[in-house]
Amino acid sequence: MGQISFVINITVNFPATMSLETELTRVIELFQLPFMQRALMGGVLTGLMGGLLGSFTVLRQLSFFSDALGHSALFGISIGLLLGISPSWVILPFSVVFALAVTYILERTQLWTDALLNIIYSSSLALGIILLSFRDEYRGGLSHLLFGDILAVQTTDLVFSVLLLVACAGFIGLTLRSQILMTLHEPMAKARGVNVSAHRTAFIVLLALVVGISIKAIGVLLISAFVVIPACAARLLSRQFTHYILLSAVLGAISAVVGMLLSALFDLPSGPSIVTVQLGIFLLAALIPTARAIAS
Amino acid sequence: MQRLNDPVLVVQGLTVYRGTHLAAQDISFTVPAGTDTAIIGPNGAGKSTLIQAVLGILPHQAGQIMALGHALSDRGYLPPAVRQQIAYLPQNFLLDRRIPITVSELVGLGWDRVGLQLPWVGSRARRQAVRAALTKVEAWHLRDQLVSSLSGGETKRVLLAYCLVRPRALLILDEAPAGLDVRGESEFYQLLHQLKQEQGWAILQVSHDLDMVRRSCDRVLCINRQLLCEGTPDHALAPEQLSLAYGPDLVRYQHNC
Repeated sequence: MGQISFVINITVNFPATMSLETELTRVIELFQLPFMQRALMGGVLTGLMGGLLGSFTVLRQLSFFSDALGHSALFGISIGLLLGISPSWVILPFSVVFALAVTYILERTQLWTDALLNIIYSSSLALGIILLSFRDEYRGGLSHLLFGDILAVQTTDLVFSVLLLVACAGFIGLTLRSQILMTLHEPMAKARGVNVSAHRTAFIVLLALVVGISIKAIGVLLISAFVVIPACAARLLSRQFTHYILLSAVLGAISAVVGMLLSALFDLPSGPSIVTVQLGIFLLAALIPTARAIAS
Repeated sequence: MQRLNDPVLVVQGLTVYRGTHLAAQDISFTVPAGTDTAIIGPNGAGKSTLIQAVLGILPHQAGQIMALGHALSDRGYLPPAVRQQIAYLPQNFLLDRRIPITVSELVGLGWDRVGLQLPWVGSRARRQAVRAALTKVEAWHLRDQLVSSLSGGETKRVLLAYCLVRPRALLILDEAPAGLDVRGESEFYQLLHQLKQEQGWAILQVSHDLDMVRRSCDRVLCINRQLLCEGTPDHALAPEQLSLAYGPDLVRYQHNC
C-alpha cells in the first residue's frame, strides 16, 4: 500500500453564473482524471463493504463498536508514525488486533457495552492525538486523519479494497443462513451446529479490516457512518432479510457515487458530502411510510 | 427414520455448571425413537440448562451425550448430518422487533444446512418444504408477514413449522406451548403425537404442565439439579415422587370439569 498522503487538496472554484451544462461538462472532465476515478472507485467499494457488513453490524447492535474501531485507528497510526513505520502498514494489523482485544474484553466484563466502548474510543483518540503531537510534520495532517482524503486513494488501496470486498461478499454469501440465524437467536443457531464464536470472530476481523482500509479515504470521524447509515435506511425500506442486506450495500454504493458527484459539482469535501447524501437517503426512507400513509 | 425404541439420545453421568453454580449433577437417561419424554421439576431445577447442555449450547463438565449414535464433543460439535435431524424450540424466542424477517424466511432457515453453501442452492425444494410446513401448522396465510408482527400464539406455530420443515429424529422443546390458547395447545399436542406415532420422532420437552405430561408423555424425568425419579407418568407423577422434587407441601389440584 502506498504512503498515506495528507497533502492533496483540490480546490476548483467556478463562477456562480456558469450554466448547468458547463458545470456538468466540468464535472465529466474532472472524472476523467485518474485520481478522481480512483476516488470514485474507492467510494463505491467502501460504500459496498460498509453497507454489506453494516446490515449485520446494526442488527447485532455493534454500531458503536465500528465507531470505536475508527477512533482506535488514529491511535494505531500514531504508533506507526512514532516507530517510523508507514501508517498504511500499521493500520490494518492494529485494527484487527484491537478489535479482537475489545471483543475479548466485552465478552468478559460486567460493565455496560456502550460505556466500555466509550472509554475505549475516547481514550484511543486522546492517546492518538498526544502521540501525533510528538511528530511536528503530522500536526497539520490531523484533519486529514479525522476526515479522510478520498482523492488521495492509490491504485494499491483499490486492489486491497477489491480483495476485501470479495472476502466480505464471499463470507456473507456462503454463510448467509448461519449469519441470519445467529442474528435472530444465538442459542437456536448453536443448536443447529453453527460455530457462533468462530463466525463472530471472522465477522469482527472483516469489520476491522473494512474500517482500517477505509480510514484513509473517509477519516476516523466519519467511517462509522458508512457502516451504520445505509443499513438503517435499508432497514426502513425492507421486509425481507436478504433484500435488506443487498439494499444496504446498494445504498452504500449509490450514496458514494452521488456524494462524489455533488462534491465535484459544488466543490465540497468528498467524505462529508457522501455522508450527507447517506443522511438524505435515510431521511427519505424514514419519510416514505408517512408519505404512503398520507396517500392512502 | 429411526426404528421404534431405538435410542436417539443417550445421556450418561451429565454434570453441568453455570459459572460456579452446579446446575445439573450426574444425570443419566435415554430417549428412544417414537416416544415423548418430559422433564419436570421446580423453577431453578436445571431443566433448561440440561437441555441446553444436551444440545451443546452450554458446555458440560462431566458425562457423555450421544445423539443418534454420535458423541457430542466437549466443544459442542456434532456432525452436520446429525444436527440436521435435531430441532430445538427455545423457551423464550424474543425476536428483536427491528429485525426484518418474514415468516417464510424464518421457516426456511430450519430447512437450510448451516455449513458453507451458495444462498440460492436448493431454493425450489426449500420453497416447497416451507409451504408444506406452514400448511401443517395452519400458518400458510402468514407466510409474507413480518415475524415481529405476529402474536405470541402465531409465533409459536411458525417456530413449530421451523422445526417441522425437515424430517427430524429428535425434537427438543423448552416449555414450547406457553402462549398458545386452549385450541392452539390442543392442536400442538395432536401434531406432536402425530410426529411421534407416524414418523417415529423422539420428543424431549421441558414442561410445568403436569396434567399435559400425564396425558401426552410416555416417560417423565423429574429433576432438581439431579435426577430424582424416572419412569412412566403414573410412577413419576405419584405424590410421593413429586414431593421429592417440589417439597412435601405440594398439593395438586385435580380439575374434573
